[in-house]
Amino acid sequence: LCSFSSCSSLLPQRGPLRGSHWQSSVLTLRTSLPVRAQPKKKKKVDVRREQAQKDRMKKKLKKLEKAAPELIPIEDFITPLKYSDSNRVRSLPALSPEETERRVLLLKKWCLFKQKQDEAEKKAIQSLVESQQEALKELRLESEELYQAAIRRDEGLFPFQRDGPTYTPPLPGYDPPEGKCVDITKVYTQ
Amino acid sequence: AAAARRPWRLFGAMCLLRLPRITQPLQKEEEEVAALMGQIEVEKSQYSDHEIRKLEEEERLRRRKENPYDDDDEVTGKTVIMAQDLEDKWEQKFLRFKAAPRITDADKKNIRTSLNRKLDSNLMLLVKQKIGNQELWLLPQVEWQPGETLRNTAERAMATFLGDHIQAKILGNAPYGIYKYKFPRAIRTEDNMGAKVFFFKAFLQSSDFTQTELKADYLWVTKNELGDYLKPEYLKKVNRFLLD
Repeated sequence: LCSFSSCSSLLPQRGPLRGSHWQSSVLTLRTSLPVRAQPKKKKKVDVRREQAQKDRMKKKLKKLEKAAPELIPIEDFITPLKYSDSNRVRSLPALSPEETERRVLLLKKWCLFKQKQDEAEKKAIQSLVESQQEALKELRLESEELYQAAIRRDEGLFPFQRDGPTYTPPLPGYDPPEGKCVDITKVYTQ
Repeated sequence: AAAARRPWRLFGAMCLLRLPRITQPLQKEEEEVAALMGQIEVEKSQYSDHEIRKLEEEERLRRRKENPYDDDDEVTGKTVIMAQDLEDKWEQKFLRFKAAPRITDADKKNIRTSLNRKLDSNLMLLVKQKIGNQELWLLPQVEWQPGETLRNTAERAMATFLGDHIQAKILGNAPYGIYKYKFPRAIRTEDNMGAKVFFFKAFLQSSDFTQTELKADYLWVTKNELGDYLKPEYLKKVNRFLLD
């Protein structure tokens, strides 16, 4: 009895399973597109879901970009902590009253000195301008075209560059010692 | 209309300035205030790293002198460079450097034709020119020719006396001053009454050039020394446009 049942159970499993009876031969692989509705829906939903995910990511990115950019810290305005130690404070004797008196009087003298210097400068500039005006007036009396040529703007004058005076004149044949300069400035990107 | 010529002859003159190469010495008030500012800066400052290092080392030296057999944190045999040694080394290096002197040889011998003189003030070019029948010291001038602007006349004047290879920056197209004079009665005619000399200013750019002077005498003088050479009226007009 048992052998008979085993035989019957084995029979249907002899060949590969067929999806539907429309398939001509069992041995061919599934090459045609599945025609059922179920797999199609899956794909649409997939595509739509992916699209929705992408949009959400884009929206998040846009929000982040819209947020104000982080301010670059100005290194000069932040005192490093090591300079707020108390052992850094200089210990000097207090100023005597004579010293403060001397300082105040010296600053007043300086005020006067600077005022005189400034006045002298202004006077010199004034005299220069007057002299130029007089020269142009005389030139106009002479000939109009020369005058027009004179009051034309000089294009080649600016930008004017000149190295300022140093304390000692340049030493002829001086070879300054070579040094290496390492730039350690921090560069911030926003 | 073309016959309405003015009876004045026009000249273009160039005031060529060699700008100062070194700073002017500080005046008494300036020095005092500079010292005061230095003092205030030191008072308001804090100790720098170098100073703290120096203080610590002095402290350590003092402690070591007091207890000479008690160096638990000092490792003997290892030479440590102290901050004071560094300072001495820097001082030595500074003293070994000899800068160029501020008062040059030309200053000492008062060679007025050299450009290396009076490095802290402006120097102006003066040339000896023949006007009429007199030899006068003047700023280099040349008569204006029709067809050129006055600035070109001044450039030509500079080129005549100093050659073509002078690099000078002329400050603008407009003249800075004018000196008007009438000819002496002997040569004065109806349409040749006198002359107008227009002054232009320029800065000398080329620092060292072999001065190939074409004509006769030339001098480089400061504003104060102009009085030794120029006529009083001329000097008055020139002084007006010279900033010291």
